[in-house]
Amino acid sequence: MSQTPQPLAPVECNDPMALPRRVALVRPDTRPTLRRREERMVMTFPHLIIREVIMFQVVVIALVLIALLFNAPLEGLANPLETPNPSKAPWYFLGLQELLHYFPPVVAGVVIPGLVVVALVVIPYARINLVAGPLWSGDRKRVTNAIAAASGLLVVLFSAFQCWAIVVPTLLVAAAMFLARSEGDGRPFRRFLTLVTLPEWIMTWFVVVAALLTIIGTFFRGPGWSLVWPWNMYPPA
Amino acid sequence: MPDETADSLSGLDAGEGTRRQFLTQLGLGACAVTGLGAALTVADYMEPKVLFEPPTSFRAGNAADYPEGTVRFNQEQKVYIIGGAAGIFAMSAVCTHLGCITRPMSGEAGIACPCHGSKFDLEGNVTHGPAPHPLPWLEVRADSAGNLTVDTSVVIPHGKALKP
Amino acid sequence: MSTLSLASLTTRLRASAVYRSIIRHGAADTNRNRSLVIFENLFLHVHPVKVREKTLRFSHTYWLGGITLAACLILILTGILLMFYYHPSVPQAYRDMKELQFVVDNGVFYRNLHRWAAHLMVLGAMLHMLRVFYHRAYRPPRQFNWVVGVVLLLITLLLSYTGYLLPWDQLAFWGVSVGTNMAKEAPLIGKPLRFLLLGGNIVSENALLRFYVLHCVVLPAVMLLFLSVHIWRIRKDGGVQGPPEDGTDEEVEP
Repeated sequence: MSQTPQPLAPVECNDPMALPRRVALVRPDTRPTLRRREERMVMTFPHLIIREVIMFQVVVIALVLIALLFNAPLEGLANPLETPNPSKAPWYFLGLQELLHYFPPVVAGVVIPGLVVVALVVIPYARINLVAGPLWSGDRKRVTNAIAAASGLLVVLFSAFQCWAIVVPTLLVAAAMFLARSEGDGRPFRRFLTLVTLPEWIMTWFVVVAALLTIIGTFFRGPGWSLVWPWNMYPPA
Repeated sequence: MPDETADSLSGLDAGEGTRRQFLTQLGLGACAVTGLGAALTVADYMEPKVLFEPPTSFRAGNAADYPEGTVRFNQEQKVYIIGGAAGIFAMSAVCTHLGCITRPMSGEAGIACPCHGSKFDLEGNVTHGPAPHPLPWLEVRADSAGNLTVDTSVVIPHGKALKP
Repeated sequence: MSTLSLASLTTRLRASAVYRSIIRHGAADTNRNRSLVIFENLFLHVHPVKVREKTLRFSHTYWLGGITLAACLILILTGILLMFYYHPSVPQAYRDMKELQFVVDNGVFYRNLHRWAAHLMVLGAMLHMLRVFYHRAYRPPRQFNWVVGVVLLLITLLLSYTGYLLPWDQLAFWGVSVGTNMAKEAPLIGKPLRFLLLGGNIVSENALLRFYVLHCVVLPAVMLLFLSVHIWRIRKDGGVQGPPEDGTDEEVEP
């Protein structure tokens, strides 16, 4: 598959049967995507189909068991005059609702989600994502300065709003990034850490922040959006 | 790529299967049972067990309210309660042709349907028109004091009237 | 029923003219017939006839896209069942929830199934997105498919959100009130968007009906559209891409 094509030598001939004519030119960049290596292929039926069937069955069984054991919530009839305390959004919006505690609604409800969506959409078109190598593979001094500046800025910005739920993960992730600078004692985890690229660090930071905000909003917020222990969600009056 | 041939059954007696065959049948059998169970539970779910329709039983006054010759038309329940020669009986007012509501005729004794011209006598038998069956009689019960209860969901044979 | 008679029954069924008019290939015991099983089936022929053996491994994609799709399928089926007992009006909707809970056979089961499948689908979509990101499977030629995926995630969240209002209980009502009040804060389009979404200024019967139509008709249709593009694109891009190989990626940038 990796031969270089022979240069074509011109041949004079009037017989269309003897001299084949080129009817199609296959350029190296046409669809479908070419592969550099030969791959072992198997028939879709049954190998892929059976796995899909099993996956579907496992999902059905797991969901049926959960549905049999745990009930969906149903509170009292909707009453426009009485707001429950606390009134919480579904879990995937609780992170956002936690943010609302620190920032005005425009920021927490529109700006930040908007930025998140734009950032997600842009990922495959940003050059950094396509060419990034391990974080510390380039100019180490520049990377050090960049991490210190970025995390410093974020920490200062979010501390000003007393949003510790973002400050703490930022510091943790920055510490992890500096930890990845050296291979340490050569343990597999430390070696793995050195391979993480900048986009992956950024996404990890985002996931940790979002998860932490959601966890706080779900388990640690009680009436009036006050901080409570999960086992004491609704303290007696 | 080489063909993957089916399991070789050589070396097995008739009636003996491979472990793979057994497990395949077990698996497919379990899927069939699941499918059947799912279908039955869905069918059970789809059948309403509690209806919010008005009850078919209703009170209809007292036996004394229906002397011989009375024809009372209850429009809400679509029922005639008639005091006949043999006693009190109730009859459906729904025409047996295509379901229109019949009315007592103004001039002659009898019941007429406005939709396609069916006519019935006061015992429900078809006298005229396209109706295929007589109007069904419905159950009337009286308690010890003579208070009547009609159940429009219970059809009784013609002629079984409540003796006064 | 002994093995032989069941086998002979299926053989006779397969040889019958009616069966052969529906399933036009033979039993899948040759590669040609295995190809035809995929190729001649409307639902299966989104798959290629052959796949790379490497893609079958669990650690290739953790089956997250498939799990999300399976949850979606369960949601559609249970959702249709629930629709047979639900009136999107106030306060009948709440009464219908109680009816499903206490009166209808298996009503509580199908409702629970619907709710938990919804949670699984949202979670699955997010985990799938993270998997694709960390495997760098958004690289060319798969860039646009990533964008379609983000759109699908947003549609999933919207589906979950519109469905959240339908029980018309306190949780639903106030969750949606808070959410639409946040939407109001968007510059320029915020207030008109909220007005359109709610069919008015307050969360009321109009809002319930609109959310019902969005949840049962509009958003599922849009989702199926984008899902078709998403799956089609995977096929055209050469199949699912898992962890990048050590050294060079196996795909060549066109």
